[in-house]
Amino acid sequence: MKVVIYTLMLLASFSAVAQQPNRILLLDGFLHVGNGEVMERSAILIEDGKIIDVRNSLAYTVKPEEWDTIIRLEGKHIYPGFVAPNTTLGLTEIDAVRATRDFDEVGTYNPHVRTQIAFNAESKVISTVRTNGVLLGQPTPRGGRISGTSSIMRFDGWNWEDATISANDGIHINWPSSLDGGGWWAEPKPKERNKNYSSELDELYAFFDMAQAYNEIKSEERDVRLEGMKGVFEDDLRVFFHAEELQQILDIIDFVKKYKIKHPVIIGGYDAYLVTDLLRDHKIAVMLPRVHSLPENEDDPVDLPYRLPTLLKEGNVKFCLQNAGDMEAMNARNIPFLAGTARAYGLSTEEAVKAISLSSCEILGIDKDYGSVEKGKSATLFVSEGDALDIRTNQLLLALIDGQFMPLTNMQTDLYYKYTGKYKRAGKGK
Amino acid sequence: MKHLILYLSLMVSVSAAAQIVPSNGVKSSEPEWIAIKGATIVVSPEKKIDNGTLLIHNGVIEKVGSIVVLPKGTVEIDLSGKVIYPAFIELNSSIGMPELKKPQWNPRPQMESSKDSKYYWNESIHPEIDAKNLFSYDQKGVEGMYAKGFGYALTRQHDGISQGTGAFIALGHRDNENKVLDAPNAFFSFKKGVSRQTYPSSQMGAIALLRQALYDAQWYASQTDQSLNLSLDALNNQLRSTLFFHTYDKLEILRANKIANEFDLKFTYIGSGSEYTVAKELKALGSSVVIPLNFPEAYDVKDPYISRQIPLSDLRHWELAPKNPYILVENGVEICISGNENAKSEDFWKNLRIARANGLSRSEAIKALTVRPASIIGLSDKIGTLEQGKIASFMVYSEDPLEKESELLEAWLNGKRKVVKTLKEQQITGKYDLIIAGKTLEINITGDAEKPVGKIKMPYTDEESGMIKDSLVSASVSVEKNDITIQFIAVSNDWKGNVSLHGKVTERLGIFEGGGILPDGTWVKWSGIKKDKGEKEKEKQKEQEIDSTYQLWYPNMAYGFDSIPQQESYIITNATLWTNEEIGIIPNATLVIENGKIKFAGQGPYPKPAGSIVIDAKGKHVTTGIIDEHSHIAISKGVNEGGQAISAEVSIADVVNPEDINIYRQLSGGVTAAQLLHGSANPIGGRSALIKLKWGSTAEEMLIENAPKFIKFALGENVKQANWGDFNTVRFPQTRMGVEQVYIDAFTRARAYEAAWKAYKADTSSVKPARDLELDALVEILNSERFISCHSYVQSEINMLMKVAESFGFRVNTFTHILEGYKVADKMKEHGAGGSTFSDWWAYKYEVNDAIPYNANILHEQGVVVAINSDDAEMGRRLNQEAAKSVKYGGMSEEDAWKMVTLNPAKLLHLDDRMGSLKEGKDADIVIWSTNPLSIDAKVEKTFVDGILLYDQSRTRELEKRDRAEKARIITKMLSSNKRGEPSKRFVRKKRGQYHCDTLGEEYSTEENSH
Repeated sequence: MKVVIYTLMLLASFSAVAQQPNRILLLDGFLHVGNGEVMERSAILIEDGKIIDVRNSLAYTVKPEEWDTIIRLEGKHIYPGFVAPNTTLGLTEIDAVRATRDFDEVGTYNPHVRTQIAFNAESKVISTVRTNGVLLGQPTPRGGRISGTSSIMRFDGWNWEDATISANDGIHINWPSSLDGGGWWAEPKPKERNKNYSSELDELYAFFDMAQAYNEIKSEERDVRLEGMKGVFEDDLRVFFHAEELQQILDIIDFVKKYKIKHPVIIGGYDAYLVTDLLRDHKIAVMLPRVHSLPENEDDPVDLPYRLPTLLKEGNVKFCLQNAGDMEAMNARNIPFLAGTARAYGLSTEEAVKAISLSSCEILGIDKDYGSVEKGKSATLFVSEGDALDIRTNQLLLALIDGQFMPLTNMQTDLYYKYTGKYKRAGKGK
Repeated sequence: MKHLILYLSLMVSVSAAAQIVPSNGVKSSEPEWIAIKGATIVVSPEKKIDNGTLLIHNGVIEKVGSIVVLPKGTVEIDLSGKVIYPAFIELNSSIGMPELKKPQWNPRPQMESSKDSKYYWNESIHPEIDAKNLFSYDQKGVEGMYAKGFGYALTRQHDGISQGTGAFIALGHRDNENKVLDAPNAFFSFKKGVSRQTYPSSQMGAIALLRQALYDAQWYASQTDQSLNLSLDALNNQLRSTLFFHTYDKLEILRANKIANEFDLKFTYIGSGSEYTVAKELKALGSSVVIPLNFPEAYDVKDPYISRQIPLSDLRHWELAPKNPYILVENGVEICISGNENAKSEDFWKNLRIARANGLSRSEAIKALTVRPASIIGLSDKIGTLEQGKIASFMVYSEDPLEKESELLEAWLNGKRKVVKTLKEQQITGKYDLIIAGKTLEINITGDAEKPVGKIKMPYTDEESGMIKDSLVSASVSVEKNDITIQFIAVSNDWKGNVSLHGKVTERLGIFEGGGILPDGTWVKWSGIKKDKGEKEKEKQKEQEIDSTYQLWYPNMAYGFDSIPQQESYIITNATLWTNEEIGIIPNATLVIENGKIKFAGQGPYPKPAGSIVIDAKGKHVTTGIIDEHSHIAISKGVNEGGQAISAEVSIADVVNPEDINIYRQLSGGVTAAQLLHGSANPIGGRSALIKLKWGSTAEEMLIENAPKFIKFALGENVKQANWGDFNTVRFPQTRMGVEQVYIDAFTRARAYEAAWKAYKADTSSVKPARDLELDALVEILNSERFISCHSYVQSEINMLMKVAESFGFRVNTFTHILEGYKVADKMKEHGAGGSTFSDWWAYKYEVNDAIPYNANILHEQGVVVAINSDDAEMGRRLNQEAAKSVKYGGMSEEDAWKMVTLNPAKLLHLDDRMGSLKEGKDADIVIWSTNPLSIDAKVEKTFVDGILLYDQSRTRELEKRDRAEKARIITKMLSSNKRGEPSKRFVRKKRGQYHCDTLGEEYSTEENSH
């Protein structure tokens, strides 16, 4: 089977069940590698879902018989699959419908609670996120002091087992807030310095001490909750600290030192720009707050959230972007545009791309296989008509996850065609 | 005789006693005439008598002067050296009122009043409550009042919107010495108080409710055959009296004053302490303001992590609040001063002196505490000064309390004396020669008169050297009236051991004289002769320094302007103009702005107004300002009046908040105008405010002049309270079926109401219909004089509302959100409705499951006027990006996509004759972009509103620097205050949040947005 596709596969008709080509050659596209580099005319050689080589197409002789599919992409842009870290995507479908919310378990210390098995591989929301180039994610639990354990999933799969890239990659700690109060919206109370801050910290330390002791003793009696912590001390389990304020960040640094945490990550870190040297010295990575958010304080520069990526880059802190917040699941499709805004406010294009691809994968510990279009990595990438960070030109021509072509339709495009069809039949369409 | 007295007490309300109470035992008598002599008497703000005499007859001042002839039998009291002030008048008291009880909490909403039908239908309107009937004597309260110098209180329960009548009380030392004076008055506020009734739940609801109650009262008065309503009766009576309006922030004064104008009323405002920022507006109102002396304590700023979070607005308020009285007076506002917010009397006095040090003149301060409140309450003939005929309520102080720290010595209430504190009469501090049995020692007495401390210098012969040296020995000194005792252990050559002395003091001459006992037990005579004055006395004479300088910003917070920027003429050259007109997007073009309007937009020769500022916009793109059809920024105290299914009577225009930082943030995103919509909690919500984002201006100035009238409607899950929990299942409607009937019923009633008015106007002798603010708005809708912007998602309900509208003969102007509009685009087109949609939101609730980002495109293709809106303060500042999503999802042209956030919302708001495109004569609402505004790289460089440059990227960096410096300056000042050990408070962080469609109550939401 030697198919040469010269025309563009607009809204590609590959479906999950159709026969998929095995040896794929992507030719002449403008490659954004993901590591900060570009290749203006690239040849990407794919076999068995892996990138077997990346070459300059000008110096590469195409032998059509070697390929199941050759796709010419002159003038098009190729990107590694973008990543949605720290997301409830796949764990919720409709925010207001409680029955569809599967991300917040009862309990304060829930390291044993795992998102992996709650991941909805058939999520309709995911299908609309994928079509903007976001191909991987980290479904993450919410609530409590330790919310639970996240996993890293590809946005393709028959079930959660298929979809898993990295099971149980880390536990998530909601660091005690150094400011507290606020009440609830109908009966608000003033916010002030959290009087319980130090006792809440003590409790967290005590829990870690207990978990550490449990791990050292290797008792016969199993404690399901503490088993969930084992990886923190033994393996490569990451510890994600959800925190924004300066006081919290400084205390997290102490905590990381005390327990010799190998892979500490701060999620949020609005104030991280004030202590970039400390974060750099302690090798603590930061997943910045949603770029499209309002400044935290009335007096903050109006564009501070837009500029945080640049400020962290200038401070040489390892960082990536994430999108947690209001309506985060459906909004994950706008992650490319968070990077776009970060570019407008100081990052270069390739730095911005990296902030939602390779940097994310490095922080998540999956960069050996994902995050950039390089030899030996998974063929998880997509092609856009133009600049994928710009809303107007983020038009996907194809997307591969582990070498599999993804459908570029979703229930929204289905409804689009259905209703444009309605008006066409009535003679009112274009 | 008994009858006669009762009769008199009705005539003369200041009678000594309204009744004769039988006494238990022998009748005790009190002196008829009392004369106070020797004191400095502050008779009135202008008149002060040194060493004067005050003659009191039966609790009333008979005479005051330097020389007063005293009748026989006058009891004379010598208060030489003391200072007398007339008792102050508190207009905002709740002394003697029973504690307010909030009804028990219940998760089920209470829709109707729990009172019976002879009262107003809403429990927060209770004008019939008369504080006189609630008052009970409160000894502690009275002591607290006179400790602050107050002897009169206008007291009431601080509860409700129409609160009732306060009781004016000339306070007495005992229950039967209290006098209730006749001073008709009424109090109002925008706070619902303890009523549990759901309505009103917002400030705009409170405003509408008060207006409706006033109209109801007018109508009630015009009717003869109405069943008795005690509330409306009381309200009608009150409106002829002195009216007070209790406000909780400065903007409420301006809001209340709109009601005053509408009903030709005059309010005296009870203020909150931040009125200085609106001093000019207050002067224009011509009303007096009763201000508290509640100057904020310094924040504890020792921890820089905390102090960096304190907003500049709070820091500036800390610095400027003490100037509130001065700034108001300087701007010609008549003020009264209230002590009600000072729990401790020391704080009141301290703050009064701080106010003086910040520029408040002595005579203004006295006026504000005495004659002005007396005149406001209509009792100038009885209280306020110490002139003949006035009530003898006054305070005696050790020093002048307006000038220096002093002590209250006596409180005279209604002619009755109470000695609060007896000063140690003798000021004995200083150095004396102590002559005991012919030997002279030097004693230095320090400390105050209460606790003197003595040190005695005592010569002795040093044994080693043989030299005569001095040793300092402590002596215990105490004074009781004229007697002094001094005791010390002597170590001199003459005596070793205890020496105790007792004697009389003659302060005036600085002499002690008496007898004592020496260590050997011999009695001796001794005397002391003063050598110089004590240090403490010198210190007290130090003059207070007065600093009345201040600089306000507009608004008085971060990014505020030193002065309001002015309109200028601009010539913007070499620009790419997105005209939104037939000529489309044109490169190398020129835009000329003059007098706030566009003078020229195009290529080729252009006019050059004199004095124009030329901006070279080479490489830049210039557009008209973004108009947000659906915004909830800049709103005070509640975006939803969700207390009822229909709240057409309320208006967002009543509660615009010009100090919301989001105004400035939106300018930085190129937004120049917005429709501030009521939320979506009920099928018929409130009226909109159409504003220009004029940062630095007042709320009134932001409202667009002669703007078309709009109102919010809403459909779906929010109005049927689908996501409000299990207890909110009471309010009709709970289904989409019910929603339709709410509309049909409302418009049917509106038609009947209109017909009734028509009939009345044709024959004014017929029965006059009652004015109904809710139906007024609905009639406007029926007559296409008010336009609907309807929150909507699902096609069924969109279709339903169009059918209801058609059956009543009007059109739905705009469906906002309209996420399933693409399913009924043809029907909308036929009906004539426009759509204002989110670009790509979905999946946040069940009814938006079929929302698609192609919606705008399909609607546009079908000829519907489409806008893209924000409904969100964050998204509102990057609507250019949202417009770009129309290009991505469905391939709209860039020119059309840009109109989604500019011309089309202008059309939907019926403002396209003055905004929305770059056309000569239209408003100069202009944005200069760094590049194509639909590009993700686009940044706003300058935003003009009405030809005024309100946002400038480079200037905003300057403002950031200025704000940082200002913050550092004030924090340094606070630090020195912290170090002086002045009281400080912990920083309480402002809640960060914003209004969403479904936010209930008066506070901002920090919950997730569910639209």
